[in-house]
Amino acid sequence: MKNRFLAMLLMALPTLAFGQKKVEITFQTDGVCGMCEKRIEKALLGLEGVWTADWNQETHATFVVFNPKRVSEMDLHNTVAGVGHDTQKVKAKDEDYAKVHACCKYREEEVVSAHHGGL
Amino acid sequence: MKWPFLLLAIGVTYQVAGQVDTSLYNSLQIDEVVVREEATGLSINTKSATLDLNISRTELKKAACCNLSESFETNPSIDVSFTDAVTGTKQIQLFGLAGKYAQIQVEMTPLVRGLLANSGLSFIPGTWVQSIQLTKGIGAVNNGPESMTGQINVEILKPEDLVDAAEAPDSEGRGNVLLNGYANQGGRFEFNEAYGRRLNDRWMVASLGHFSGRQQATDVNGDGFMDNPLGYQVNGMLRARYFGQNGWEGLYTFHALEDVKEGGQWTGSGAFPLGTGAADIWRSYMKQGRLAFTSKMGWVNPDHPDQSVGTILQLYSQTMNGFMGVDKPSSSPTDLQGIQNGLMAQVLFRQGWGNWAQTSALLFSRDLYSILLSHPSLSGLYDWGEQNIGLSTEWTWNPNPSFTGVLGARYDYNSVASHQFSPRLHLRWAPKEGHTLRVVAGRGFRNALPLTEEWGRFASNRQVRYAHNPIYSGWVWGGTTDSREIAWNAGLSYSWNFEWNYMPGSLQLDAHSTQFGQAVIQDYYTPGQRYLYPQFASGGSTSPLSSNTLGAALTYQVNKRTEMRLAYRFQDLRTMYLDETGFIAQNLALPTPFVPKHRWMAHGSHDFKGGWTVDATLQRYGEQPIPGTDPASYPALEMAPAFNLLSGQIRKEWKGGDVYLGVENALNVMQVNPIDGAVHPVTGAALLPTDPIFQTQFDATRIWGPIFGRMVYLGTNIVL
Repeated sequence: MKNRFLAMLLMALPTLAFGQKKVEITFQTDGVCGMCEKRIEKALLGLEGVWTADWNQETHATFVVFNPKRVSEMDLHNTVAGVGHDTQKVKAKDEDYAKVHACCKYREEEVVSAHHGGL
Repeated sequence: MKWPFLLLAIGVTYQVAGQVDTSLYNSLQIDEVVVREEATGLSINTKSATLDLNISRTELKKAACCNLSESFETNPSIDVSFTDAVTGTKQIQLFGLAGKYAQIQVEMTPLVRGLLANSGLSFIPGTWVQSIQLTKGIGAVNNGPESMTGQINVEILKPEDLVDAAEAPDSEGRGNVLLNGYANQGGRFEFNEAYGRRLNDRWMVASLGHFSGRQQATDVNGDGFMDNPLGYQVNGMLRARYFGQNGWEGLYTFHALEDVKEGGQWTGSGAFPLGTGAADIWRSYMKQGRLAFTSKMGWVNPDHPDQSVGTILQLYSQTMNGFMGVDKPSSSPTDLQGIQNGLMAQVLFRQGWGNWAQTSALLFSRDLYSILLSHPSLSGLYDWGEQNIGLSTEWTWNPNPSFTGVLGARYDYNSVASHQFSPRLHLRWAPKEGHTLRVVAGRGFRNALPLTEEWGRFASNRQVRYAHNPIYSGWVWGGTTDSREIAWNAGLSYSWNFEWNYMPGSLQLDAHSTQFGQAVIQDYYTPGQRYLYPQFASGGSTSPLSSNTLGAALTYQVNKRTEMRLAYRFQDLRTMYLDETGFIAQNLALPTPFVPKHRWMAHGSHDFKGGWTVDATLQRYGEQPIPGTDPASYPALEMAPAFNLLSGQIRKEWKGGDVYLGVENALNVMQVNPIDGAVHPVTGAALLPTDPIFQTQFDATRIWGPIFGRMVYLGTNIVL
């Protein structure tokens, strides 16, 4: 029983891990804090075809590994903008920007400087 | 600085700013929003010098049910087993050694100790638990002398956990009320509650409540004995948290519980003739209670956050009252009445200078025991007090991010165990990013209560004797130097955190050895007898109890929704028994019973879209030695067969909570005839205690596998 279970697991593993074509991309996304990071990454990971996503709070670099057959580069930008964050290709709509929490208002000088002042 | 020492002087001391609570102080300083990190289920702290596994609430949700004794079911380091077939007591093992050799603490204070050592793990409801820190290998010296194999610290939900959840920006005000309900096919039900609120900017309060029980008996295997005991548990905690100015904080907790379990034969099982009454059958009853108050205060120097003082004061009263056997005047059941009143007080002082930090502690504890036991082969009233004064210091050297060295030592004067010196060493070396090597070595001691902490082992007609040879009357009630247990532990481990195919994984290899210098041996290898005696390592020869283990665990995040874990452990445990002549010179080293040599585990979980999660755990227990029944052979030792346990759960989560449906022991594995002498060997009819077969053979302690087969359960968590 156990051997069968393990065998199934081991057989499934390569398919799950390597069965998809993957492309790396890095683009800029505006944001300020850890909460922004969580929001950006959660939105990207929610897309089918996105393998992994990582937003860097310091450099604003957004690193995404995705399967171009299932999701396009523009989908990534639109998704991030859809949760209120400007990317280098798509600016978030005002109504989406309005939904981000007060401490994440990266377009406001005071909020940004407050985060940097804290460092 | 005067304040802390004044506190120390008046003895109103207590604990832990330096240990656990400093993070709270740090969070105070950030007035922005603190993002609550969603910790992964099981994580190893790569910065720590000790091999610490953190078990988060996410991971605890995968455990079927319900309390701390069951929360290790998905953990490859800890085993859970039954002590007997009637009391329903579950115990844990670390490195194959009983849980009593690990220091189990609740927020650095004792709970699973003294008269609650046998079942205290079931007095911590799983839904109250905020996180569990498991240290493999001997723990930090300031937490007390009793860590021998490792340390388990449980953090319970604190007022700020609930208040912060509700005040978090994306919570919409939810999170300060948690409700949980659970029911299973075996008739067990459970309700839990946690509520926290902020009173003002300095005070927060919380209440934690638990009610559980089983009112409906089952006898699936038809041996006349209930599969699980009936009973109830009422358990409650009131907590108040204070965050003052100038670095002061406090946490005050009041805890009360009552637990009743009734098991044994069941007149309603249909296995006995009509008219069989409660006074004719073999029954077990145990009622345990606890009242405790804990005060923890801490101060962090606002000008030098590296400097802090903590105090802990805990006062408690614990009781244990029960019997096993036929409860009528003409018979002599095992009867126990026990009270333990105690207090612990601790002051901890921490100071850091650049690469160096030291933490020192002064610990005072006092326990007053009164135990009245009557049993066919031993009876008595034992009253004694145990005082311990301990002084400990621990020095941490952290010259660069890749190396940490911790050297600690403690000296205890214990009124029972006398003078004890316990040095401890922890080294961490990370030669390259992601690779960590750790070394641990140290000594610990404890005082055993061999009869009460193994209460379930009275579910047997074995004669309890102090030793084989009646002339040699080892005194192992507790309260004398013969009940002392001393062990050295040493270990080496390697952790590799890797990234493969963009996804994180870890490999962990460890080797640990625990060698006892003195131990209280419970010897079941003579049919019909249970011998108890102290054993010593004589002249540097083989230790009376030793554990050598090798472990390997691999975890890998297969993709963003799938996680898997594979683990294997080899454990070789040997106990030094006295042979039939009873003289120490002729020792026999035999495998320790109820410990499988090989253990495997495979675990996988997958998150589906829409908040659905599925997880499954397969555990394999290799063959294990158990006491045999052949009176003609000594030692009577048999091997129990290997078996597999499969459990799984499916859960649907919403913003306001979740619903989960699961199964334990899905392969329906059961130990055939778990209770010796319960049924007639030919006819299979259940026997009453007056039957000669029952009288000579009854033994419910040779338990190696599940008694209850497949068990389905349903539960829900509600967040308001």
